[in-house]
Amino acid sequence: MSHNDDGFFLSEKSSKARLREAEDARKNRAEILKAYSQGKVSRRELMKWGLITTGGLLAPIHGLNPFVSSAYASGGGGSTIPTGAPPSPTFGVQPFSTPMPRFDVIARGNNPLGGDLTPTPTAQANQTQQPLDPALVGGQTGLTGPIEGRPGGPIWAHQGFTDHAPQVSVEMSQAQAQTNTVYNPAVASNLNSGIDPTSPIPLKFHPGFPTQNANSVWTFNGTIPPKLVIGRYGEPILFRHHNRLPADVTQNNGFGRNTISTHEHNGHHGAENDGFTGAFFFPNQFYDYHWPIVLAGFRSVNTDATDPRAGSPADNGGINKVPGDWRETMSTHWFHDHMFTFTSQNVYKGNAAMFNIYSALDRGDETVNDGVNLRLPSGSSNGKGWGNLDYDVNLMLNEKAFDASGQLFMDIFQFDGFLGDLMCVNLTYKPFFEVERRKYRFRILNASVSRFFKYGLSDGSPMIQIANDGNLLPTPVVQTLSDEQGIAERYDWVIDFSRYNIGDKVWMVNTCEHRDGKKPSADLTLAQALSGTSSDPCVGKFLEFRIVRDPATPDVSQVPNVLIPNPDLSSIPVSRERTFTFGSGASQPLAASEETYTTGAGNQAGPWGVQTDNGKMLNASWGRISAAPGYGTREVWTLQNGGGGWDHPIHIHFEEGQILARNGSASNVPAWEKGRKDVYRLRPGGSVTLTMQFRDWGGMFMEHCHNTVHEDNAMLVRWEIDNGGAPFLRPLPTPVPTPQGVGFVAPDDIAPTAF
Amino acid sequence: MRRTGQAGFATVAAIFLTAILYLAAGPTPAAADNARWGAGYFPNVVLTTQDGAKVHFYDDVLKGKSVVIDLIYTSCVDSCPLETARLAQVQKMLGDRVGKDIFFYSISIDPTHDTPKVLKAYAQKYHIGPGWTFLTGKKADIDLISKKLGLYSEPDPNDRDGHTPSVMIGNEPSGQWMRNSATDNARFLANMIGNWLDGWGHAKAVDAKANYEQAPAIDISDRGRYVFTTHCAACHTIGHGDKIGPDLLGVTNVRDRSWLETFISTPEKVIAAKDPVAVALYKKYNGINMPNLRLSDAELNNLIDFLARQSAEHGKDAATAEKVGTVKADSAQPLR
Repeated sequence: MSHNDDGFFLSEKSSKARLREAEDARKNRAEILKAYSQGKVSRRELMKWGLITTGGLLAPIHGLNPFVSSAYASGGGGSTIPTGAPPSPTFGVQPFSTPMPRFDVIARGNNPLGGDLTPTPTAQANQTQQPLDPALVGGQTGLTGPIEGRPGGPIWAHQGFTDHAPQVSVEMSQAQAQTNTVYNPAVASNLNSGIDPTSPIPLKFHPGFPTQNANSVWTFNGTIPPKLVIGRYGEPILFRHHNRLPADVTQNNGFGRNTISTHEHNGHHGAENDGFTGAFFFPNQFYDYHWPIVLAGFRSVNTDATDPRAGSPADNGGINKVPGDWRETMSTHWFHDHMFTFTSQNVYKGNAAMFNIYSALDRGDETVNDGVNLRLPSGSSNGKGWGNLDYDVNLMLNEKAFDASGQLFMDIFQFDGFLGDLMCVNLTYKPFFEVERRKYRFRILNASVSRFFKYGLSDGSPMIQIANDGNLLPTPVVQTLSDEQGIAERYDWVIDFSRYNIGDKVWMVNTCEHRDGKKPSADLTLAQALSGTSSDPCVGKFLEFRIVRDPATPDVSQVPNVLIPNPDLSSIPVSRERTFTFGSGASQPLAASEETYTTGAGNQAGPWGVQTDNGKMLNASWGRISAAPGYGTREVWTLQNGGGGWDHPIHIHFEEGQILARNGSASNVPAWEKGRKDVYRLRPGGSVTLTMQFRDWGGMFMEHCHNTVHEDNAMLVRWEIDNGGAPFLRPLPTPVPTPQGVGFVAPDDIAPTAF
Repeated sequence: MRRTGQAGFATVAAIFLTAILYLAAGPTPAAADNARWGAGYFPNVVLTTQDGAKVHFYDDVLKGKSVVIDLIYTSCVDSCPLETARLAQVQKMLGDRVGKDIFFYSISIDPTHDTPKVLKAYAQKYHIGPGWTFLTGKKADIDLISKKLGLYSEPDPNDRDGHTPSVMIGNEPSGQWMRNSATDNARFLANMIGNWLDGWGHAKAVDAKANYEQAPAIDISDRGRYVFTTHCAACHTIGHGDKIGPDLLGVTNVRDRSWLETFISTPEKVIAAKDPVAVALYKKYNGINMPNLRLSDAELNNLIDFLARQSAEHGKDAATAEKVGTVKADSAQPLR
């Protein structure tokens, strides 16, 4: 295949000219290192030349360590991937040799304001002082700081804390790697590939890999499997997030920052609960996130809550009607760190979890037949009425890299984007999953740092896409291969395994090839991806489905032809159009319009930043306000990728948008993007025009590239909802967190066109 | 001697054992936590300072320090002047910590031209204070450093400037590094360098009742002021004397609008055309190129309106003139 021969890696089949070129390089060791670093020669050649050992370790030549765009060959198939490190060791482990654990469902308390949590949550941040660990403040002693890291005062008080008082508590700690002794998959063992949940689970990405050191991985509660929070509309959650990371910033095994800010992606919550990048909290503090779980438009649409489609699953199968627009119902969220400049490191290190939201339409019980429930695959909740996970499976896709000792590794100087070389599902290296002969729903999250995925079943069987990001589509879409799924995008699928026989196996196959973290290098066919010839070790099979039995009870789930149509916004005037340009290709000068914000770089290495016109490159400063839409208005935003050498999945916080056009034309919008979305993949040189509303809550939100390396350095802008009257000020002061408390300053900059 | 030899052998054996344990996938020793971004990662190549001293990149430049590193070349007419001026603001904000625990470095990516002597003259032009070292060296070594720091750009025929106006700020002992724009908000950079990266050892107590109401209001109505603050203030004042460039008080009284428009939008062309005023300014201000800021027409108009307004207000209000009595005699009328 030609894609092996164009510069990334030289195979033995490479042309004589190319091999001669490599041979020429041998004449000078420095040249070899340079060629190697640029991916122009493979590990095999270097081994022949004695510069690299068979274990993939670099021969002890100083200066051979990775730098930008470095590429090292990896094992299987002589492939290479630029992790910035030698290929990850696999310790002789075979793919598909261990079961995929299902998510670990977090316990819910039902008395958040009356005893679940100590101290009791408060509307304004709890400013009770506690002594500070000297390691947190450069060795200073005798200092104190508040126990809650949320900025103090009325602006950062929970909006709607009385009207939407928390009814459920969730409490988790960000913590060092440790063994899980309280795993709760919330399904029977035979629906979890036979895993015994009572057996302690050490933090390993495969049973044959070494246990991760305490500071190699930091996850929710310090454990795997990844965590799942269950919620439903109209039942506000108070999530108390403790920071139990080491106070000493050096204790991070090479990457990760001990301060965090947790973003519920894409919650329609007040900004104080949005995980604002500049509202981070410190070790030994907590932050109370109030997730009201409302339907967008609840202050203006269906305010008397009379439409049963706008509802929450009641216990025992009924519906509790809630205000808001039922067409804004969301299902699949995730939450993750949003720490300024360190998001990529922290999320990669384990700060990522999922959040399933249940509604009248998406009940989590396929047996409830009331004319509202869509009866998507889930199984029966056996009278509970909602939230059953039997056949509704969360999948977290990401790829990891490991150092020679098997500890998680990240190259923090890889600013194009970071790739791993070992494919994981639910933080397990190439697992298998046992399924019954029936329909399943898979909620697939791309939780990578920089990698896009494009996948299908190995036999080319159809899959039905039912949701994109948090939103069920207007109509389901049958596909054999997914679109390129960008970082942070969620795709929900229905796969029908009744077509297989017991004993059959079928695999999920990744066909999206990368050579660097800038963008996919090629979309392969299924056959190419299965052939094992790709230079990218994450291409090919990554999850094995084993069809093990018939279901005990009949599959009564459905995939209706109509799921959730879009709200019709045509009668709402467009109050403003804005253009954000990501990547200013040097050869494509932009009109020097005041209305154009440019964020990003050209085809060369960074920096990414925010330009208020065609010339100055400003990086993210969370003190700068780049846009301030009026409260209660609708706007049209165009997100333009200014360069062809990159792709950017752009995430706009707070409310779902509808894509109006790709590259200026509505006809370019594919069927699976015709619903609501919160991540907009621009494609190289492409643009997305979308419309969204700004309503219900206020405060400072963000828009950024979800290639988190790009975001960190720093393709991120702050925008805020303005003009709502109290409590929305104009403009909001910027929080400045320190261990001793959060100060405020006036915004440093306000883009002249923000308001 | 024998004793020493045994100790040496024991040490070697211990290292060997550690290495075996390491390879056997045992827990990584705690001491290795940030070794990843230490001596084993950064090249210890030799660079030369503006004073001609030889320094090792890892041992002398990075080791044990908080650092601010950018890449420049002195003949740059594009982003470097603004970059350097902006970092000079940051340096000032960090006060006497610069040179004690925080060190600034500008490394030339044009080492053939930027000899120590040239760098020294450049530093003087920008009134660079102690604790900021300009470095030059072998091209290959500098490329390697820039790659290791994630600052390297492949040469781009479309972009003569050919480097990124990024600055790496880092703390070598803790292995914490951040890439930022060197031309961005100075206060923001100073906070990250001075507080974030040094482990909050200098963070000041925050009023427990800290409140958004204490945050001063900000005037968002004046777009011209915005342009001045974000683009001009690193080098110019209005009525507070010369900085790197001239005090702009009264500039709209002594230059006509079309000249200002042309000069601000294309300073390199005006100087190249040997416009006498521009050449005189260039000489007076140490041969520093006024950078092309690539302002839009609207921004340019807003900026000149703002300068005119400031000058007019100043003229009307003698008290204001006294307030800005810090203006030196020779710069009170800088453009005449």
